[in-house]
Parts: sequence; C-alpha cells; structure tokens
Amino acid sequence: MKARYKTGLIFFPAYDWKISPTHPEREERLLYTQDQILEEGLLDIEDIYEFKAGFASEEDISRAHFCVPDVSSRITPSHNISAGGCIEAARHVLEGDVKKAFALVRPPGHHSMRVVHGARGFCNINIEAIMIEWIRHHYPKIKKVAIVDTDCHHGDGSQDIYWHDPNVLYISLHQDGRTLYPGSGFPNEFGGPNAMGLTVNIPLPPHTSDAGFLHVIETLVLPVLDEFKPDLIINSAGQDNHYSDPITAMAFTAGGYARLNDMLCPDICVLEGGYSIEAALPYVNTGIILALAGLDYSYIKEPDLDLDQIRDDPKSLEYIKQLCEQLLIRWHEKDKLKDKYSSGEEYSKRNKSIYYDTDGISETQTEVIRICDECPGVFKIDSAASTGYRILGIHIPHGACKACRDKGYEWFDKPDSEFYAVYLQDMDNDIFKVKK
Amino acid sequence: MILGVDIGGTHTDAICIKTGTIINSAKVTTDKENLVGSIVGAINELDIDLPKIDRIVLSTTLSTNAIIEKKYGLTGMIASAGPGIDPKNYFLTDNFYLVDGAIDHRGREYVPINRDQITTVAGKLKDKGITGVGIVSKFSVRNPLHEESIYNLISNDFSYISLGHQMSGNLNFSRRINTTYFNTAVMPTQDVFMKSVSGALGKLGIMPQILFLKADGGTYMASAANRLPVETIMSGPAASIMGGAALNKDKGASLVLDIGGTTTDIGLLVDGVPVMEPLGVSIGGAKTLVRGLNVLSVGAGGDSRVYTKRDKLFVGPQRDGPPAAMGGKSPTPTDALAILGVLDFGDAKKAEHALSPLAHAMGKDLKDLAKDILTTLAKGIKQASASFIDELNTKPVYTIHEMLHQELIRPDRVIIIGGPARNLKPYIADVFDIPCIVPEYCEVANALGAALARTTAQITIMADTQMRRLVCPEIGIEKEIPSHYSMDDIKTFGIKALKDNASYLGLTDALDVDVVEAQSFNMVRGFSTAGKNMRLKIQSTPGIIPEWR
Ligand SMILES: [Zn+2]
Ligand SMILES: [Zn+2]
Repeated sequence: MKARYKTGLIFFPAYDWKISPTHPEREERLLYTQDQILEEGLLDIEDIYEFKAGFASEEDISRAHFCVPDVSSRITPSHNISAGGCIEAARHVLEGDVKKAFALVRPPGHHSMRVVHGARGFCNINIEAIMIEWIRHHYPKIKKVAIVDTDCHHGDGSQDIYWHDPNVLYISLHQDGRTLYPGSGFPNEFGGPNAMGLTVNIPLPPHTSDAGFLHVIETLVLPVLDEFKPDLIINSAGQDNHYSDPITAMAFTAGGYARLNDMLCPDICVLEGGYSIEAALPYVNTGIILALAGLDYSYIKEPDLDLDQIRDDPKSLEYIKQLCEQLLIRWHEKDKLKDKYSSGEEYSKRNKSIYYDTDGISETQTEVIRICDECPGVFKIDSAASTGYRILGIHIPHGACKACRDKGYEWFDKPDSEFYAVYLQDMDNDIFKVKK
Repeated sequence: MILGVDIGGTHTDAICIKTGTIINSAKVTTDKENLVGSIVGAINELDIDLPKIDRIVLSTTLSTNAIIEKKYGLTGMIASAGPGIDPKNYFLTDNFYLVDGAIDHRGREYVPINRDQITTVAGKLKDKGITGVGIVSKFSVRNPLHEESIYNLISNDFSYISLGHQMSGNLNFSRRINTTYFNTAVMPTQDVFMKSVSGALGKLGIMPQILFLKADGGTYMASAANRLPVETIMSGPAASIMGGAALNKDKGASLVLDIGGTTTDIGLLVDGVPVMEPLGVSIGGAKTLVRGLNVLSVGAGGDSRVYTKRDKLFVGPQRDGPPAAMGGKSPTPTDALAILGVLDFGDAKKAEHALSPLAHAMGKDLKDLAKDILTTLAKGIKQASASFIDELNTKPVYTIHEMLHQELIRPDRVIIIGGPARNLKPYIADVFDIPCIVPEYCEVANALGAALARTTAQITIMADTQMRRLVCPEIGIEKEIPSHYSMDDIKTFGIKALKDNASYLGLTDALDVDVVEAQSFNMVRGFSTAGKNMRLKIQSTPGIIPEWR
C-alpha cells in the first residue's frame, strides 16, 4: 500500500501523565488507539511516516498567550510536548517532508484562551494557536489560516485567541452550548469588530449523526473555505462527537469522521478531546489517518456499530439545513457587518467572565480594541482572577499599522492602572515583554 | 568444541573454538545447489578432531534465498480480519482465503468463526494439493482463539501449519500475515535441510547439538528452527555484527562496519548487546515480525563501481562485476588498493589500466586518485553511519520521562570487519573522529559470531485484570488471573514461563533472563478503577556465550 498524500504522524500518548487517576485525561487515553494503529500496520504503509514530538519553547507559548504569573508555572512538560508535537507536525508539512500531518498528542488545548490563569476544560495552553503562531513567525508566506474545529465542545479558547484576527478563520461544529460545556459557540458569536464574520459557530442538536455533520461540511464549511482561500487548513480533530463518548450526546461514527476528513482535506490535524477510549478513538483515529493519506477507509467500522440506532432525526436535519443556509448568507454579507455594528467610536470594548473549571479559578476581563481600517487592530486585555493576579496584556497584531503599533507601546509604557504584570505581544517584531 | 559455520552466497566460512580460543578457521566456495556439501567441505578443511565437536551453529541463507527467489511450494493462507484496512491489500497468494471472525484490541471476540466455511476452504486447499497452510487472525496476539479453533478444524489435513500468534507477540496484522506465510512456505525446506545436515554429520561420525543463527543475532535449537524457520532469515548480517561483539568486548556504544564486496552493513552494539529493529526485519521488500538486528546496508564496498560525473568522483552504490584487478571491467576501490600496492591478490596492472583514463581526465596522479577513491568510499560509509545513528536518536518515544531524559547514542568506537577491513582502516579512521578498531580474525567475524552467539528467545505477556485474563502468545499460554494480579506477579510468572518452556523456545539454557519492557495502565471505567492493563516483554539476554574468553 502507498499513501496518495505523504502523511506524517506525531504520536505522543504521554503514557506517564494524567490530570488525576480517574480523570478522562489519564495515561490510558491513547493506549487502545496505539494498539489499533500498530495492528492495522498504518506506519508500514509507504509514505506514512512517524516523527518524534518536540518541545514548545517559552517564546513559542508567549506568541499565543499571556501566562499568569508566568509560562513555567502554568504548564508541565506534558503541555510543552503536546504543543511541541503540533509544531513538529507543522514543521514537517512546511518543510515539504510530507503533504499532511496529524499531531496525535495529549493533553488538548482548544479551551485555552489568550490569557491563561489556569486550566479549563482539561486544557492549559492552546496547542493549535501555539502551532499557528509558530508557523506565521517561521513561514511568513503563510498569511491566512483556517481552523475547523470538529471537537464536540465549542473551542472557546481558539475562538478567543482569533476573535479579532481577520487572517485566521475559526469554524466550529459542536454540540449546542445550551446542552454542553463550555456553554458558548452560538451563531451570534461571529468575530470582533475588525474580523466580523470570521468566526463561524455551528451549534448542532444532541444526537446529530453522520448525515447532519457531513451536511454542514458540504453546504457550509467547504463553500466558506473556498471563498476564504486559506494558505493552510487546520482541523482540531476532537473525537468526542462519537456515539459512544461518555461525556457528550452526539452520534457521529468513525466512518463519518473519516469522510469528514476526506472532504475537508486539512493540511494538519490536531487531536483535541475524545474520551471513548476503547470504542471510538481506535477506529476514529485509524479512519482519520487513512483519509488524510488519501487511502480507502470504507472498511473502518466500530465493532458495535448499528447505524439504524443512531440515524439523524429528520427534524434535527431540517434544523441543521436551515442553520447552514442562514450562516452561509451571513458569511456572504460579512463585509457589511462592520458598518452595521459600528458605533463610530475609535475603540470597542467587551467584558467577559471566564471560569477555569479544571482549576476552579474565576476571571473577569475587559478587552479594548482599536477599530482600524488599516490593520487587524491593536487590543489590550485587563484581566483579574480570583487567584489575586491582575494583569494587562497588549497585543500588536501581525501587519499592525503605525497608529496601532504606537498605541500598543503607549499602553505598555503607561498602563492606566496597577497591575501585577503588563505583557506585550509585538507579533511582527516577534517581541514578547513582561513588565512586573 | 564449538563449530561456527556461515554459509554465505559466495563463501562458506567455518571456525572452530575450544575453551575460549580459536583453534582454526577455513573458507570454501559455497555450492548453491549443495549447501550441506559446502558445510562438510568447510568442516573437512578445518582439519580438526571431529568427535570433539559438541555443538555446531549454522548461519544459512537457505530461508532467505527461498523467500526472495520464491522457491517454495504452493502455500495456503486462512485469515480472519474483521473491520479495518481492506485485507485484500495483504493477499500474498491466490491461495489466500479470508474467513469470518473478528477480535478487538482487548482480545474480545465480536464475530465468531464459521466452521463450515473453514472446512470448505480447507477442502479447496487440499484439492489444489497444498500441504502447508498459515492461519492468521487480527489481534490474535491478544486472543489466539480463532487461530487455534481454525487449527483444530484443519490440523489433520495438512503437513505444515503455522499460527500467527506463535510468530511474535507484536501487534501488526499485515506483518503477521507475511511472517506466517513465509514461515509455512519454508518449513518443508528447513525440514529437508535439517535431515540432510544430520545425515551428513552422521556420516562424519559425529552427532553434535545443532543450532541455527537467527536474525536477532541469537541462536536456537534445531527443534525450534523446524517450527519457526522464518527466524533464520537475514542471519548473515547478524552473524557479522555478533562477530564484532565477540571480537571487541569494550563497554559503551560500538558502531560495527562489515565491509564486503558489494555492501557495507552498519550495526550498533550497546555494551555488547545488538540494537534491534523495533518490529521486525524486512525481506525482499516484505515487512515481517521476525525480530532482528537493526542493520543498515549501503551500496559501498570493495567492488563498488568507481566513476566520475561532472568531475566529481563517485563510489557505488552499484556493483559492476568483479574489480578490474580480478578481470572485471569497471574500476573499484579494490583496484585503488591494488595500485597502492597493499593487496595480496589481483593484477595491479589491470587495475592501473582501468583507473588511468579517470586519472588522466581528472588531471591527477594515479596514486592520488587511488587515495581519493578510498577516501570517497570512507566518507560515504561515514555519512551512512551518521544517518543510521541519527535515525536511532530521533526514534519517537511515548512518555514524558523518555522525552526529558533520553540519552542520545554517540558511538565510542568503530569496529571494522570483513575482507577489505584491514586495508581500508587508515581511510576510515581518517574520516571518523572516534577510535577505529580492526580486530584480529576480522575476516571470519561472521563464522565467529555464529559460533559464539547465545540462544535467545522473547516472550510477550499481556494481562488484563478487568477481564481476568493473561495471554502469552509465543508459548500459547492463556490463563485466568485474579483481579489483584500485580506487575510483580506477572514478572514472576513470565520469567518462570520462559524458563519452563526454554527448550520449546529453542533455548539451551535460560540462565540470563531480563524484562525488556513493562507497562502498566490503570483502566478506569465510569469514575472508578476497573482493573489494570499490563504489558510485558521478557527475553533471554542476547550476547556472546560466557565461555568465550
Ligand atoms: Zn471536547
Ligand atoms: Zn491599525
């Protein structure tokens, strides 16, 4: 057998790391997946390669996050390697060793926001965002990136990090936030004032199965991607939409995941959630790897699969169809959104409360962005957490105009309040400062 | 007295060892049509007191050649797969029959086998006159139930049957198919060979213990070789690397270069123990589960073709017949050695004739060109060695501990063996920045490696305390275990199982046994611990027998 697309696999199961002994994020999580991959002989297929994971440096992490009080106290080596595994996946793709890559790593990251006071939704740092920022720094030819998040939970962290970035399209398919953690990801969350329409949330009703998911991909995600024309497509390949997942209520299958991947044709997949470690992950991952490599996945099937039991409800399907139509219309009208929602002011402000469920920390944020027609706009986040830390984070985006850059440095030099620390991300100059 | 005989493609080397010293060595030309004759020829050449031979260790290319040249009888395969990659991708023969049955990664049966279907398949195979059948099921190393049930249904119908789970405890369905197929295919060959070897030795009036060298650089008894002949494939490179281990007992990492005519085989010893392929060796492009040394073979040897392209000098990777000094048409490194006057065979005039046009075209003195050729060869070998080591050092690891504490391999020395070793040493030493050693007897290192390698075997144990099952596929053990069974219990059980089954596994003794891999996972279902999933590999330690020096 020979892969149609050269495909790289970074497998890092972190067999010696857990959140707690009975937590879903425990040593055992990828054990049966590895068994299946080995027994299927996926690594013997010509043009499928396995690469070693790596380490993300403090600088790599600082490109995506303001870690409070600092990077080293927010992470353990496992997070370092998980993010480093994603970076290695990207490196092998961008250096042309392979056409596609799959970072099958843990722990996950898509619930981690730009400011990190602790762990939420099993995530400490956002491994996709760290990878994307690594790519943008090392390969400036990559201008536009699309993230398609197919984890069952809304990737509120990835959405937060790219909320204001018109060059990173964030699309998420997830179980309706009214029925599942983190309770966000509604269609009316569609991006910040300088990036309106570039966040696309598709909440799906519980029990959505293959027909529903694939309909969204075909009628909404693919047309949107076609128009956005990203230089790179990233799939946040969470696998908790599977019908057997213990912490969610969807009905997606391994075959469906493979088909989704085949249609989406992402450049890089990153594992996110997925906690049906015996009944789903071994088959879903096998399917995704085969689909990525452009190989036949039609014989991949869970032992207990009974399609009649999990078929989409016609009413739900109808709802999904209408949702996709509406979202596609809004996508086409996204350029008008800025005028529609503009207040005419130079700055726009939003307040947020964030809860870190894994660590039990509460945070309140006030974010201020400069409305800018020249660039993605400088912004600052005033963040206070129940741990007692209050910080100010300033982000000067890629391609910042002079006015935004000057404003960013002015905010950094003269903060308007008392902070434990003031952070600066100057993306174009790759400068990351912390003033305490 | 121990005899080591390496039957290579061109030469058969024999060596005789007594109380840790080499008594004599011999080299004869291999008669491909009569390997047993070659063995007897080499023994006669040794000129020793035959009745004193207690043990004879054979390293043969018999199975290797049979597989590569497809010289074996019709062989049938019966396999059950269940969902996964389409098994049709793995069909090796028209006599491959896919049957019902499926087992999952934990060894649970979810589709049973169909007895009538198997009886029908067996009938078809018999009608074709097939006498050997391989039986394989997916995840059989986790639960050999289907392979064993099929075996019980057809065991009276065929002379040669091999079962997938007995080949190796490693996971890999397609390799299990290849391995089981090849094993079944060469069983008759090995059978005939073994009988004719004992016959020939009997005629010499001796009845020594007969062992065979395996791909992993260890040996096994003839009885085990009859059951698992596939393990003798690729034993040639293993013989040389083990020869390196016998000739240099220094601690640390030793890079072994076996320089031959066509290729140089590169291997690695860490404290005298050879580094293995993670899953198994490949043969004729097919991947197997046969445990074997990790050896990189590069097209750079004494007979490699020397040529220039845009004024740049190249050595190999092709071989274009013998060196010019031996009557060949293309110049080679051997010719360079002839020109430098260090060769004790060949015609230096012919070498000069072949290399002069090159020297002329490059505007070089003939002797300078000769040195350049040897340096180019040495650089090629150095480069291949570097990428070999690099690959070992970038091997993926799966724990944070290993990521943080992985010690990179940095060879402490180079051990050079093979025909041209002595003459090439100065050039190789020049390009490597670590000590290069050409040990005494480097020309017969292969036969020495065969003679001195220990018997080896490895077993795999998987214990699942939730299902209260323990499986050891290589020995065919399945047993119930109590829910409180611990890693220590399994280790104790495994070491005893290996020792109790030593002779079945082909071991002459099982004195030195070690645990090479041990993993234990808490299995959590719902929010409580449901059991432990433990995996273990136990082996008799590979290396050189203690009698040697
Ligand atoms: Zn999730
Ligand atoms: Zn601007």
